[in-house]
Amino acid sequence: MRPNRPNVPIISTNSRIRWWYSGLLLIMAIFAVRLFYLQVIRHDYYEKAALSSQLKQYEIPAERGGISAHYGDKVTPIVLNEIRYTLYADPKFVVNPSNTATLLQKIIGGNAKDYQDKLAKAGSRYQILAKKLSLEQKDAIINLKLKGVGTQPVNYRTYPQGSLASQLLGYVNDDGIGTYGLEQALEPTLKGKPGQLKAITDASGVPLAANRDNLIQDPIAGKDVVLTIDIGLQSQLEDILKSGLDKAKSSSGGALIMDTTTGDIKAMANYPTYNPAEYYKVENANVFSNATVSAPLEIGSVMKPLTAASALDQGVVNDNTTYYDPSQFTVDGYKITNIEEDGGPGTRSIADILQLSLNTGATWLLMQMGGGQINQKARVAWHDYMVNHYGFGQLTGIEQGYESGGSIPDPIKGSALNLQYANTAFGQGMSATPLQLAAALSSVVNGGTYYKPHLVDAYVNADGSQDVQQPVVVRKNVVKEAVGADIVGLMENVINKNWPIYGMSRPNPSYAIGGKTGTAQVAKATGGYYDDKFNGMFMGFVGGNKPEYVIVVRVDEPKIAGYAGSKAAAPIFGHLVDLLINNYGVKPKV
Amino acid sequence: MTYSSSLAIGRQRFATSQQNTAGFRTQKRTLGPVSNTIMLVILACLLGLLYLTQVTKTNALSYRINDLRAAQSQLKTEHNDLEVSAARLQSLERVKNSDTAKALVSLSASDSVQN
Repeated sequence: MRPNRPNVPIISTNSRIRWWYSGLLLIMAIFAVRLFYLQVIRHDYYEKAALSSQLKQYEIPAERGGISAHYGDKVTPIVLNEIRYTLYADPKFVVNPSNTATLLQKIIGGNAKDYQDKLAKAGSRYQILAKKLSLEQKDAIINLKLKGVGTQPVNYRTYPQGSLASQLLGYVNDDGIGTYGLEQALEPTLKGKPGQLKAITDASGVPLAANRDNLIQDPIAGKDVVLTIDIGLQSQLEDILKSGLDKAKSSSGGALIMDTTTGDIKAMANYPTYNPAEYYKVENANVFSNATVSAPLEIGSVMKPLTAASALDQGVVNDNTTYYDPSQFTVDGYKITNIEEDGGPGTRSIADILQLSLNTGATWLLMQMGGGQINQKARVAWHDYMVNHYGFGQLTGIEQGYESGGSIPDPIKGSALNLQYANTAFGQGMSATPLQLAAALSSVVNGGTYYKPHLVDAYVNADGSQDVQQPVVVRKNVVKEAVGADIVGLMENVINKNWPIYGMSRPNPSYAIGGKTGTAQVAKATGGYYDDKFNGMFMGFVGGNKPEYVIVVRVDEPKIAGYAGSKAAAPIFGHLVDLLINNYGVKPKV
Repeated sequence: MTYSSSLAIGRQRFATSQQNTAGFRTQKRTLGPVSNTIMLVILACLLGLLYLTQVTKTNALSYRINDLRAAQSQLKTEHNDLEVSAARLQSLERVKNSDTAKALVSLSASDSVQN
């Protein structure tokens, strides 16, 4: 007999398991729905949230290219990069401003009270205490473990040669952008290409390698640049220019030396100058400008050799031509006269026009281009030479920021055109930069080839190889070769006759030394000219069988007796000629 | 020929001709479904472990790479600093103001050399 079972509800084992399964499935279903919501519907949101804390993405700055220049046979750096440190504070976390300021002052110098004021500035979260600290100073500060004080590395341009060639170089502003000079003109080349870092990182920001989506693109450093200038010559040019300006009691001026056979600029300077490492201390922004390239002016009588070259090249005169000079011409109702020392009316030669600097002679040359009078034919012909042969009125393309092309009057449209053009024949009523003048004279005295003036000798690639820049011929047949030789002789004659007036040493007959003065009235902003303000210029060359270097000197408003070109600019030219012959290997005539 | 060797030859003969003989039939051993599943799970776990060790190893290398990058950067900075120092030491201004230069006799403005 089977024993009776206790009276309990009968629930089979299978049924219990089914309940458990159902419960489990329900929970799993809830999980699945929740996961679907989180992972599929809210996918973008959570992905973004995760990446924002794990993914680091920033730009790796490229190192800016350095700038070097020749120093005799060597190449030496004149602009480099240097890491310096900015010291900052977050006043919210500074514990003892007074003590902190004292400790900092012992390391970085300066005024502890100023630091204390900044450290205690309420409401501010960022105060810059000092800039350009050295690595040693930075380390010393870090070792103090001051609360609320930190340092940040900043890349700066540094200039081992100080203010040498400052206007030519330009500077890099706080935003890392090249401003003025080479830095501005070569900004795309010098700045390089920044790299990219996009990677999953750990908490301390170290990129984790095991992520296939990491993107680490190294920056491409800017190219280094080697300049055509020689820093020894540049330094001496700056000294000679400064000394000459002081003697002429002039507050500003400039000069340049150019190789006639390549267009290489060997030295280029302006005064006053500045230290590009401390550009922020400069009060007058005009000082930044490389006036030799960017400030066109009425060039005065230095234009006369170019006027003569154009008349000779057109065949309307030859180097033996003589003419009767009445000592004054009336053009469009205005009298064109000469300086007092012209000797009065008389028979003159082309050589006389340059040696005596006859305005009437230059006007007469222009007349010859028009068949004996100033007319449209003369104006168009002379305009063609000024613009299309000598390159006035247009940029030379030199690697400089803010280059100016100057201005040449239109030969057909306008009023009193004959007078305007008569003035341009002796360098008034138009404007050009000393650089344009140097390039134009080079093209005449080298036999007719206009080379693009340039400052870059070579670009240095990442592997150290150099892309040497070949001279760029802008145009040939500027004038005929024979005309160039005539002008060399005519300008040599000017120096041979006038060197005592110019305050120069007696020219050495073994060398070709030629030149021409220019004294131009300063134009008023409101029109017309000042009666008592003149700019002095001198344009010339030095060489042996052929001119090797062209030199252009500009002296602004000298305050000494005599003509600005002869008394202020010419002596500077004379010193530069001596310097080039004695120290820079100008080959004598053979 | 011994008796046992003659028996062995006889067995081989039967075996090669694949005639059923109850004494020589081999038993085929296979894993059951549960064992298979467990094996697969263990294999998957091992593979996962392998993957994790490799990922961890690779990530550990990140720190080495990072250290090397930092060292490279530090060396580059030092190189730049030395280059700047060298350039400053050779600057014209410094040479001009050196004791040696100061001891030199200064010349007045010179004329060009007469050959």
